[in-house]
Amino acid sequence: MNADGDPRSSLERVFREEAGRLTASLVRLLGDFDLAEEMVADAVAEALTRWPRDGVPERPAAWLLTTARRKAIDRLRRDERYSAKLALLASLPASAEREPDDRLRLMFTCCHPALDRDAQVALTLRAVVGLTTAEIARAFVIPETTLAKRLTRAKQKIVAARIPYRTPEPDELRGRLSEVLQVIYLVFNEGYLTTAGEQAARRELADDAEWLAGMLTRWLPDEPEPLGLLALIELHLARWPGRVDPEGRLVLLADQDRSAWDRGRVERGILSLRRAAALQRVGPYQIEAAIAAVHAEAPSWDETDWPQLLALYELLESVDPSPVVRLNRAIILARVAGPGPALAELDNIAAALDRYYLFHATRAAMLRQLGRSAEARHADQRALEGTTNTEERRLLEERLS
Amino acid sequence: MKFVLLLTRGEWQESGSPAEQGEVFGQISEWFGKLRADGTITEAYQLQPPGTATTVVLERGTSTLIDRPLLEAKEAIGGYAVIDVDDLDAALTIARSFPTPDGKIEVRPVVER
Repeated sequence: MNADGDPRSSLERVFREEAGRLTASLVRLLGDFDLAEEMVADAVAEALTRWPRDGVPERPAAWLLTTARRKAIDRLRRDERYSAKLALLASLPASAEREPDDRLRLMFTCCHPALDRDAQVALTLRAVVGLTTAEIARAFVIPETTLAKRLTRAKQKIVAARIPYRTPEPDELRGRLSEVLQVIYLVFNEGYLTTAGEQAARRELADDAEWLAGMLTRWLPDEPEPLGLLALIELHLARWPGRVDPEGRLVLLADQDRSAWDRGRVERGILSLRRAAALQRVGPYQIEAAIAAVHAEAPSWDETDWPQLLALYELLESVDPSPVVRLNRAIILARVAGPGPALAELDNIAAALDRYYLFHATRAAMLRQLGRSAEARHADQRALEGTTNTEERRLLEERLS
Repeated sequence: MKFVLLLTRGEWQESGSPAEQGEVFGQISEWFGKLRADGTITEAYQLQPPGTATTVVLERGTSTLIDRPLLEAKEAIGGYAVIDVDDLDAALTIARSFPTPDGKIEVRPVVER
């Protein structure tokens, strides 16, 4: 039995680490996406009832595979249409040999262009990352039933239209690269700042994103944006030890103890960014990584190189003129040119970001600097209404009280 | 594995010059010839213009006729082909290679019994 305590948290950790890999291995071995996913889901359900009672087994991954296989055989025996699959199951090896790129291959299947963008992302988060449908639904702020339908339809299409599970050709890889990068970025963001629930952040998701990005850079060593994404993740993870306090509460960048930052990771991040830059094709992930590098290298909040940050945000806006990028640029503009011009810029994007809590939180900070405290309180109130992360609510409530 | 390609008529078929239409039809017929010869296309038909279509509507034991095709003019079906390939990627590659200046192609797997 496993020594380290609570079976439920062990299960969560094992599920995150193993379920996605097991799904990927089974899809490869069985050539059947739906069956593989159901097998893993059955095994996890069994683990949820047994492990809290009997403890976590010593080799959880092997236990999950054995259970998945037994459950699948029961399931297939009940349904004779699938009798051909029984032979396949019998031929499964006792432990699913891990091919290191199984999960990336599965990710490229999930991101097949014949699937809707929403379905691609949901499917990847479910099958590759191992998030539950409830967690994904929360992250997208949609009802769980809607998400479940979306997933079911996508899985049925993969099977019925025979979307192949294979390593894509290099030109197909490049064609799907932006989708795959975006999914990894989403996973990272969900780990870095969890959309809903008690935890402010989920380190295991952020680590997973780092692993996937690293794998992608080894697959496509001549593509700069995977390196940019990896650098971005490394540079943010380097700050992790300073951004969550011992009680698990978020600490703002300005208030963080920079001596706690992981200098080795900062250097790795900067090295990844240099390798990306050497390929001489700039893109949004590289620019975001460069922004993270400026923060990581600043000796203190006050000594941050704001003009360089502003230049980088302007560059980012030129390749990605989204309202969120403009919001971030306005925050830096406030440091360089004062809250007045920044507030004017915020007014330009107010309509697009009216439902985004960070927009209102930023606006509140600028109004407060300008001495317009009544308006600031109103904006903070709007921000509070818009966030579902308990930790962020706490930060905003502190400011309001 | 069999897929049906449903081919829409495309703008060129309505407004292209006779010379352009002739050239495109030549390329299309070459395309069909090649894919029939290597066994990829197992069956295919070009359809008469949408003006020749009649739509039969069945409703609780009664039927009515409508003197037009099922789909709107810009997505009227101009023909179909049944292809036999390994997977969706192969089917999509065939669909993409259809030599027409514009138009849409629905790629749908058939139920094989």
